[in-house]
Amino acid sequence: MLQMNNVSKVFRTDTVQTSALKDFSLTVDEGEFVTITGPSGCGKTTFLNIAGLLETYTSGTYLLDGVDVSQLGDFQRARLRNEKIGFIFQSFNLMPDLNLFDNVDVPLRYRGMKASERKPLIENALESVGLASRMKHLPAQLSGGQQQRVAIARALVGSPLFLLADEPTGNLDSNTALGVMELLQEINDKGTTIIMVTHDQLLAKQSQRNIHILDGRISTGDQAEALAPAAEVA
Amino acid sequence: MEIGPILRALWHNKLGAMLIAVQIAVTMTVIINAIFIINERSRLMARPSGLEEANLFHLTSVGYGDDFNEQVTSDDDLNMLRQLPGVVNATAVNAIPVSGSGSSTGVRIDMDDRTANVGTAIYRVDEQVFDTLGLNFIAGEGFDVTDMRYRSSAGTTDADKVVMTEALAAILFPDLTPNEVIGETLYTDQVTALQIVGIVERLQAPWPSWENVESSVLIPEQFLDTYSLYVVRTEPGQRDQVMRAAEDLLAGSGADRVIRGVNSLEQTRSETYGADSALSSILKTVVVTLVFINSMGIVGLAVFSINKRRKQIGTRRALGASKFEILRYFLLENLLITTVGVLVGAVLTIALSIVLTTNFNMPAMAWYYAPLGALALIAIGQLAALGPSVRATTITPATATRTV
Repeated sequence: MLQMNNVSKVFRTDTVQTSALKDFSLTVDEGEFVTITGPSGCGKTTFLNIAGLLETYTSGTYLLDGVDVSQLGDFQRARLRNEKIGFIFQSFNLMPDLNLFDNVDVPLRYRGMKASERKPLIENALESVGLASRMKHLPAQLSGGQQQRVAIARALVGSPLFLLADEPTGNLDSNTALGVMELLQEINDKGTTIIMVTHDQLLAKQSQRNIHILDGRISTGDQAEALAPAAEVA
Repeated sequence: MEIGPILRALWHNKLGAMLIAVQIAVTMTVIINAIFIINERSRLMARPSGLEEANLFHLTSVGYGDDFNEQVTSDDDLNMLRQLPGVVNATAVNAIPVSGSGSSTGVRIDMDDRTANVGTAIYRVDEQVFDTLGLNFIAGEGFDVTDMRYRSSAGTTDADKVVMTEALAAILFPDLTPNEVIGETLYTDQVTALQIVGIVERLQAPWPSWENVESSVLIPEQFLDTYSLYVVRTEPGQRDQVMRAAEDLLAGSGADRVIRGVNSLEQTRSETYGADSALSSILKTVVVTLVFINSMGIVGLAVFSINKRRKQIGTRRALGASKFEILRYFLLENLLITTVGVLVGAVLTIALSIVLTTNFNMPAMAWYYAPLGALALIAIGQLAALGPSVRATTITPATATRTV
């Protein structure tokens, strides 16, 4: 489903060249719950951006659902993002001036669906995160945990191939984070593939597989091994 | 299309959008009425006077001294002017059309019914006036030298013939054709009976803003006093040099008088319409300034709005928006704000027009000014928002995952 082979990403300025990812290879199969961990600046977000087609890469190959994304133009990448990937961001990234219904509606509108087709999907998505009764509320009227639930509903509403979550609990207190994590587990249990970037080792242990990144490469050292039993826990 | 979400989002964050909409409404109200006034002034200034203005100039002779003989001097002056190289003809008149200075009277066709008087400019002229001014007869003919009458301190003989403009004939004789009007009798305020001998197509009164500006009569009559006003028609292209030569000629003729007010008809028209021309220039400046300020306001709002929403734009791109969909979003948002502005502006434009018509005797604005103005402002608004909107499309989807 997601296959990266020797992917590298180099950021260049006039005077500086920085390798954010180096010969990064990873395969994620359908139904997996994979966490990506590593220290700040190790390349987690760069990986997420490339995996989510938010950014291009410098070398290597990346096949998304069998499609070589290096050959795609901006428009095709946008369509692929819309149809195959659901994003969950650390800061929720909800539109503050839109109510919950309209927020969840955003990706569906870019899919060109009719209003009559979108409405039940949006209601179901909000229902699935327990916020169907508040669909006319603005994000600012919700708690952080509820806002992240709306973001999860927005990510799920188009039935994507997989979810990419960027520190989804990073802005939440521990109890709320636990609730969001349980929700993600439920979603994964229903068959949706999840790739989650996180700093939180405890959350990483709840996933089926943890990938630890150091200096732009997948670490094969103690960190990854220490987390290995977590797969059994999950 | 995202009209619903955009409207709802604007409603939750309405202050900036409302300010721009109000600015657009006020701008529209001012500029549409200003453009109407400019067009109205231009139309008035473009009306033909009936004269061959490009080849005409006029000058004044003011005599002094006990030995000054008005009639002899006037006859000699006209003879000299007519023989000057480059001159087609010359005539003596009491007023210059479109000059702002002249005489008027009331005329009627029923001698006893003074209430039926129609205001008209009155030109006292000689028999050469028609050829000199280049007037175009549509019926009848002009005067000959035997028709001339003179008024002086020694005594007065009233003229008994008149030529009038087609516009005046249409007012006085609405049921007659120009040819049928010839031979009819006209009475002036002084109960002088004048036989109508000719109708000219056009000869404007000296006062351009007068409601009866197209109504004029010409009478074969001259005042014999120290003041003489001559109009000279030249060969095409020779007006300016003939003006100088004519002034030198009369000034050096030996008569006790001074020559002054040597001006082309074009200069006279320009001076008469000076206030209108200045008003038009001021209003044009106001229109351009307001359009510029309005455009800058839209650009400013769009830039501010886009900078404030960089993360949102990145998120939209991450969620699947193409560059075109981002461009469309911001242009549509601007279109909705501008449309509200021009709708309010259209109401205010019509209201101001009614106020101007009612209180300042202005003609009513044509119906198409408001919709055309609205379309123009919408187009200007979209053009102003285009640059910032295109810049918004360059915001990358990776902006969505940036924490700063």
